Amino acid sequence: MIKNYFKIAWRNIMKHKVFSLINVIGLTIGLSASFVIGLMIYYDYTFDDFHKDGDRIYRVVSDFKSPQGTFHNSGVTLALKDAIADNSNFESITEFYINRPSKVENKANNTEFKWPNFVMYTDEAYFNIFDYKFIAGDKSTALDKPNNVILTETRAKEYFPNTAPADLIGKTLVYNDSINITVSGVVENFKKRTDFVFEEFISHQTLLQTDRREELLERQWGNTNSDSQLFVKLTESANVVSIQKRLDDLALEHTDEDDKKYEMSREFQLQPLSDIHFNEDYGIYDWSKGQASKSLLSNLALVAVFLLLLGCINFINLNTAQASQRAKEIGIRKTLGSSRKQLISQFMGETFLLVFFSALLSIVLSKWLINVFSDFVPEDLSFELFKAPLIVLSILLLLFVVTILSGFYPALVLSKFNTVSVLKNHMAAGEKKVRLRKFLTVFQFTIAQIFIIGTLLVGKQINYLLNKDMGFKTDAIVSVYSPRSERELSKKELYAEKLRSIPEIKSVSIGSHAPASYSTNTTNVTYTNEEEIIKSEMQYIFGDTNYANLFELDILAGRIHRNDTVRELVINETLLKKLGFNSPDDAIGKALTVNDEQTPIVGVMADFNQRSLKSEIKPMALRGDWYRSQFSQFQAIHVSFHNESSENLKSTLTKIEDAYKSVYTETEDYRLQFMDQTIETFYNREKKISKLLNWATGLSILISCLGLLGLVIYTTNRRVKEIGVRKVLGASLFQINTLLCKEFLLLVAIAFVIATPLAWYGIYSWLQDFTYKTSISFIAFIVGGAAMIFFALLVISFKTLSAANANPVNSLRSE
Amino acid sequence: MNTKLLSLNEATRTVNSGSNKVTLLDDINLQVNEGEFISLMGPSGSGKSTLLNCIGMLDSFTGGGYTFLGEPVHSMKEKNRSKLYKEYIGFVFQAYHLIDELTVWENIETPLLYKSIKSSERKALVADMLDRFNIVGKKDLFPQQLSGGQQQLVGIARALIGKPKLILADEPTGNLNSKQSTEIMELFSQLNKDGVTIIQATHSEQNAAYGSRIINLLDGKIVEE
Repeated sequence: MIKNYFKIAWRNIMKHKVFSLINVIGLTIGLSASFVIGLMIYYDYTFDDFHKDGDRIYRVVSDFKSPQGTFHNSGVTLALKDAIADNSNFESITEFYINRPSKVENKANNTEFKWPNFVMYTDEAYFNIFDYKFIAGDKSTALDKPNNVILTETRAKEYFPNTAPADLIGKTLVYNDSINITVSGVVENFKKRTDFVFEEFISHQTLLQTDRREELLERQWGNTNSDSQLFVKLTESANVVSIQKRLDDLALEHTDEDDKKYEMSREFQLQPLSDIHFNEDYGIYDWSKGQASKSLLSNLALVAVFLLLLGCINFINLNTAQASQRAKEIGIRKTLGSSRKQLISQFMGETFLLVFFSALLSIVLSKWLINVFSDFVPEDLSFELFKAPLIVLSILLLLFVVTILSGFYPALVLSKFNTVSVLKNHMAAGEKKVRLRKFLTVFQFTIAQIFIIGTLLVGKQINYLLNKDMGFKTDAIVSVYSPRSERELSKKELYAEKLRSIPEIKSVSIGSHAPASYSTNTTNVTYTNEEEIIKSEMQYIFGDTNYANLFELDILAGRIHRNDTVRELVINETLLKKLGFNSPDDAIGKALTVNDEQTPIVGVMADFNQRSLKSEIKPMALRGDWYRSQFSQFQAIHVSFHNESSENLKSTLTKIEDAYKSVYTETEDYRLQFMDQTIETFYNREKKISKLLNWATGLSILISCLGLLGLVIYTTNRRVKEIGVRKVLGASLFQINTLLCKEFLLLVAIAFVIATPLAWYGIYSWLQDFTYKTSISFIAFIVGGAAMIFFALLVISFKTLSAANANPVNSLRSE
Repeated sequence: MNTKLLSLNEATRTVNSGSNKVTLLDDINLQVNEGEFISLMGPSGSGKSTLLNCIGMLDSFTGGGYTFLGEPVHSMKEKNRSKLYKEYIGFVFQAYHLIDELTVWENIETPLLYKSIKSSERKALVADMLDRFNIVGKKDLFPQQLSGGQQQLVGIARALIGKPKLILADEPTGNLNSKQSTEIMELFSQLNKDGVTIIQATHSEQNAAYGSRIINLLDGKIVEE
């Protein structure tokens, strides 16, 4: 029976090749999108899901609330652990301190490793909470003495190539030239996906021998460093509410007077292990990996669902339209004794065959799609994930759902046919479902239309952001950062001097970051005038006397600081207004209290954007490097070019790098950033959305138009005789084409009417994230609508023209 | 051979066409015994096909009683009714109504699928039938590749494969030339001799003459027997 069904299903598929192709293409696109996006969701949701009792593991994090907003810090004060250690709700509690040594030496081999990553200082409890497999050494004793280290297998191979793990115990490494540390254990790296990427675990007491000694000895409540992490594992019967209460009490108890004065408060939160991978507020340990975003994933899932729906709709439309062709077979089968149930299962079987075929194609396509969407897909997400049992099961479930979704309704319609009227050729069944098909077509085109308008407007906004004047010069500028370990100013000056001698370079300035960057340095200022005390936060940018000139910052009043070390401020307009000055000239010569010292305002600069245009302009001041003797803020050399033509640029960049190497002979830490590229990175997320929308638009247009094509082919074929008669009666090609196109274009027009407000609303809410936004122009809607009608017309005419062109004699003779 | 196969007792069928009530079959009284070969005659629209469809349970009477093998069909549930006709009734159509996507073999096999007969048994039955009708050589062809007469042979083979007691034939030779017609009618009378009850609707006096009993219909009424 089953074999018979599949046989006839296959023959039907082959008989209606065009329709089958349209169905398969639609379903394949929908399924491929679902597969890839499903894999991504699976990938991100299976991070750190393998830890024993993972649902009882929490990270304690700090939130700082102030009138300016809430700031999140993944670390907690070192004082917290002792205060909560004796709480009976905790099964285990561990603190670890992330600290990257500048150098690790294996003296025996005479090898040296600079800035090894993922090094932490911790204790045995860490290994009680996180279950590492020990290859060598003993968990309970490995970290109980200072100057011991546990290495992961990977790191051990790096430090001690070709040595068996068991032989490593007792070997010595020298950290930061002075600390001798003995290897006391080797653990396996986590084999599954994890954000716990640490490679070296040094016993916690060893921290006393580093520059963090003071911090550790004092364990001050007021000091929070994101390197200081605290993890707890709750007991099975733990009371989360009471833990939170205790944390709240502690936070309150240790609020200092200054914080109260500035209305600032701190809260400790328990962050579940499963939240770490997604929560951007607190971040993950490996910054180089993009953090998973639940909102991005759900947007992607939405796209997949829409594409899949569009594919299913094509299936429903084409199959109900074709129903009359199958009607005879159904009638006969009924007279031969088939029950309705049997017919339904036969048609579902046919649907499943198509869906299954599409799924096979999709799996092949997915491999390619993973590459196309590399911006979204995490690097190590591989095709192998398809083998995961959960994925296999989900795919089967999806296929089942898609089969039901697209096959059930047509099956119901088909199996309902009245045997007698079908066999007598009194067929009208196809006609009755016209309204449903129209509704579904409108639905399809509405989705496609929304995508088109969305793409246009998102593109417009991104263009606007990238091209809007930031308030300072952004093109033809590069910044070269000094080596991280190199703090000495003389070398920077030497380097700057060498750069000045390059003829293509227009101007050079030493300073901190460029005016717009990801880094901020914020402090609080107070200004006292005759009536009141005004407080504000203030961001710094640091630069030499040429900084404002190089970035073409607009000085509205006064002047810039006289030299690099004088204690003078150049404030921006936002700060000017916040401090209550009416005009820039009023502020000149007034003094602000910064870190308890009076600091004069010598100039006022025009506002510029310090970050992406999503954020507002913050109060800011430009200043020199007045604490130079203790800590120089100057870490970059900014260079502007005379012109930025590409052939010149290349040779100029080589010269800049050569000069760098002649000054910093020992290091390879060469970092150069183009100002305009930095600004583009502000909008990476928007660009991703834009790319995603482009794809969704293209695919939804494709699927919808294919569906439309199918319907047009079908209706036109049914009207061949009518077309013949009309031609004989003298209708022109154009008249016939208009007649045939009219009803379909009407559907597209209705879709446009429905889509317009929806698209407007969607874009409107998306734009709310931006401080600076383009207008939602009507042109985008008109262009979007025109594009949709153009595509639809193209598809419709493809078939109708040939039908209208056909010789009427042929169509009439056949009757 | 005088077992009663079916009986109609004042059976009527009316349908609503717009606001008019149209009577298609009016007060039909008919007894059919096993082994009979009945020819229904009458002009187009006289109700021959409707009567056949109603007897074949594809349509139902809207009034009166219909008893098949002693069971009251008019008060039966759809499920039991379909079980009944699956078991006892075979159809032959004017337009053959073979399934275009299936081969001759598969077309003949289809009714057996719906009776849930085992694969090996199906094979044997279909092979027998092909043999009997001398169409073994055509078994892998599709309906379009056959002549009208051959298609009707397949149609009859398919109707017979389930070993029905009653064959309902609606103008079985309507689309055939006279030579093919004769062959098909000869076949019917042979089948009738083998014990199958046949009711056929026909326009042709010549074909009607093969029957053991001729019933004339006009405007939904039996006018002459």
